[in-house]
Amino acid sequence: MTTETLATENAGRRAGRIGGIDLSLPVLAATAAFLALLIGLPMGWLAYYAVTDRAGAPTLVNFTTLASDPAFTEPLVTTLILCVSVAVAAAAVASPIAWLVARTDLPARRTIRVLMTASFVTPPFLGAIAWEILAAPNSGILNRWWRDLSGSADPLFDIYTLPGLAFVISCYTAPYVFVLVANALDRIPADLEDAAGILGAGRWRTAVTVTVPLVTPAILAGALIAFLQAMTLFGSPAILALPAGFHTVTTKIFSFFQYPPRPQLAAAAALPLLAVTVLLLTAQARLLGRRGYTVVGGKSGEPRRLALGRLKVPALALVLGVLSLPLMLPYAALLKAAVSSFPGAPFVIENLTWKHVNFVFVEFSQTRKAFWNTLVLALGTATLGTVLALVIAYLTARRAIAGSRILEFLATAPVAIPGIVLGVGLFLSYTRPPLALYGTLWILLLAFLTIELPIAFQQLRSSFRAVHPELEEASRILGAGRLKTLARITAPLLKSGVVAAWCFIFIGVVRELSAAIMLFTANTKVLSVVIYDLNESGDLGAIAVLGTVMLLITFAVVGFANWISGVGSGVRLRGG
Amino acid sequence: MAQLELRGLSKHYDGTAVVDRIDLAVPPGNLVCLLGPSGCGKTTTLRLIAGFVEPSTGDIRVDDKVLSAPGFATPPEQRGMSMIFQSYALWPHMTVADNVAYGLTLRRLPVAEIGRRVSEMLAAVKLGTFADRYPGELSGGQQQRAALARALIVEPEILLLDEPLSNLDAALRDEMRFEIRRLHDAFRYTTVYVTHDQVEAMTTADLIVVMNHGRIEQSGAPEEVYNRPRSAFVAGFLGGANILKGHAIDATRLNVGPGVLRCAESAFVPGDEAALSIRFHEVRVHATGGPDGDNRLAARVIRQTFLGSLRDLALELADGTVIRATAPPDLAVQANARVWIDLPPERCRPLPS
Repeated sequence: MTTETLATENAGRRAGRIGGIDLSLPVLAATAAFLALLIGLPMGWLAYYAVTDRAGAPTLVNFTTLASDPAFTEPLVTTLILCVSVAVAAAAVASPIAWLVARTDLPARRTIRVLMTASFVTPPFLGAIAWEILAAPNSGILNRWWRDLSGSADPLFDIYTLPGLAFVISCYTAPYVFVLVANALDRIPADLEDAAGILGAGRWRTAVTVTVPLVTPAILAGALIAFLQAMTLFGSPAILALPAGFHTVTTKIFSFFQYPPRPQLAAAAALPLLAVTVLLLTAQARLLGRRGYTVVGGKSGEPRRLALGRLKVPALALVLGVLSLPLMLPYAALLKAAVSSFPGAPFVIENLTWKHVNFVFVEFSQTRKAFWNTLVLALGTATLGTVLALVIAYLTARRAIAGSRILEFLATAPVAIPGIVLGVGLFLSYTRPPLALYGTLWILLLAFLTIELPIAFQQLRSSFRAVHPELEEASRILGAGRLKTLARITAPLLKSGVVAAWCFIFIGVVRELSAAIMLFTANTKVLSVVIYDLNESGDLGAIAVLGTVMLLITFAVVGFANWISGVGSGVRLRGG
Repeated sequence: MAQLELRGLSKHYDGTAVVDRIDLAVPPGNLVCLLGPSGCGKTTTLRLIAGFVEPSTGDIRVDDKVLSAPGFATPPEQRGMSMIFQSYALWPHMTVADNVAYGLTLRRLPVAEIGRRVSEMLAAVKLGTFADRYPGELSGGQQQRAALARALIVEPEILLLDEPLSNLDAALRDEMRFEIRRLHDAFRYTTVYVTHDQVEAMTTADLIVVMNHGRIEQSGAPEEVYNRPRSAFVAGFLGGANILKGHAIDATRLNVGPGVLRCAESAFVPGDEAALSIRFHEVRVHATGGPDGDNRLAARVIRQTFLGSLRDLALELADGTVIRATAPPDLAVQANARVWIDLPPERCRPLPS
């Protein structure tokens, strides 16, 4: 090697060193400060508003007003009933399906898993609207069929009721339980069941005495998540409960911002929601964190599948029947509504029309703006969020600097902040100088960034953990500086994780409603808000068109993410 | 070939010394083994040498040039070293040939030259036909050889190996031990080899450095360290030994309770608490006989196991002390049998306190 190349190389190495070691502390501090501001500011104003009156004097009157006002205590009771029913229903329905898929020879198991994931990514408010189309008492497609078939004057099912609402929310929270339970079942090594078998337990007895108890924590954790979802969702109750004349906590908080606005009450009502969320998430982490119980050690290997025998066909029919509730029926209803003159119209050729498509894409002035806003926000949030999450994951996974734990906490904390609570907090923080962001896309960007950061961070942290530090060290000792190592070793190995994180954020932004509904203005409407508005005016055809487009975007991105991670996993990650 | 020197080297984490004032000089072209149980500081020492960790005290010199000192460490990429990692750390997104070529690419060698040297090196480690495979498609032993090739091809001043064989199965480990020594004899890089396996250390090393609690217990040629352990720890860790404690009567004799034992070497201070070590196979067991004899003690067999080429015995002395002995397979003694054991003075190594 010539002296000249050595000199240039050394210069490059020194630059790498400056880019890496020397800057990591300032970068850590800056990131931590940014996150603290991002989360601390809205939460701080929320707390401040909750304990002050209009004049800014400290008081507890907001809480006492809420506690004594039936207009708030009734939604509270309603929400509690709703949450409990959803938790029970989701666990009761999803756990058996998870067991059938993970532990029996049920046909089409892989397809069922994919379909479950599909109901995962369906925006819940879209599901609620689809069920309006299906089961509104008069115009609902199913109710029309029922009346035609039975000759009865009464609807079969009224979706604008508390049970109706609980049903729709259960449809879209059951996948959470399913994923948790199915994963837990996947991890139970066959030898634990074999051990019961060799001691004389029959297959059913083994299932009841060994398998089910082992996944009980996962079922409970799933039920807690379902409870949480039911508590913090805004779209579904706003769509189904408000027409029926009752409130849940989230719709009540939203109503405090209708004229006359009462932000103090909204803040006071949001705080308990935050507290309960934190509490439930802690409980969930404990349930899943007891290692050696849910995450069972031991030799893995293909689990032994129970032969269903004659029950195979009925079981499959049952599972598909259940899956039709969040998927086949609503999707069919949306598609039909998109091309029918009115949703309940008989499905014949003269009723087919392009008028909704035409209305949405040509006549309706808000569509283009909303698409543009959504696209800008989704791209911006996904890119910014991925970079931010990447920096945090790098600092926490690779730098043993004191303080990286704080960063980890800050990056995960937003999980515990319901969208509507964050929306209230951001509204209170950014409607004032020095950062009067209300009315701009920036405030929505901040909201989405906060909401989506945890999932991106968790994705990238596990990606980093899968890349053994020795892979980077091997490159350093052979002569590559820190930056060169980052470019040639770390980045290629993280590629699929980064793409997945980006896609998660993108999808999350496209479907977000509960924070957006607090923060939008006429110029900053996004797709979900437009859909919500159209629902208020009862234009189901236009919603169906927009909703279908939204679903298409979502599934395209999901497909892309799956394809990329499939490409990435072709190379096995060694060295761990 | 470079001379490596560690002077008063320490590394503290949260106030505890993981590496504690180590002095070591590795002559050019020598292979030195850092041997010790897990947590003894050997891997940290290696990472200090590589420049991944900055020392708390002391310094590291190569050919009298200081590479590491407190608050200062030449980055790993400028040290002219290479390293083989416990996990091999082969990059899963590159083929074997790309992995091996990496160091040369960084040095901006002409492409043709790189190609030639890569195929030479792959042939040397018997991986010639695997150049286009990905690491995930290789067996453990092949990955190990690919890692060796990647480290050797850059012709390092110093080669570092971190438990390179611990992920291999027993048969492969045997083979690779000799392979590493063969490659060392061929290339003669100054090499630091970290292991917890004494057989590995004995096979490969010119110099064994036994470490414990962050310190060097003893260093020397394999035979010297084995034959003349200077502490109970070294005696026990290297080959296994019985340690008998007692108090010294004079410079050569130790009262161990059930009897007085004499060492050929004089090392004790009369009146002091001290100990001696004797290896399992050096204890002679007699099924018959009497109390007369040099360093002879009475014992009772509490367990005997036939291992084919020898018998493994556990023997209890009069005061309850249990010592282990290996005897020829034709010595037939039953459990509970009374026996006599000889501890030859020239095999009793004094361990002064």
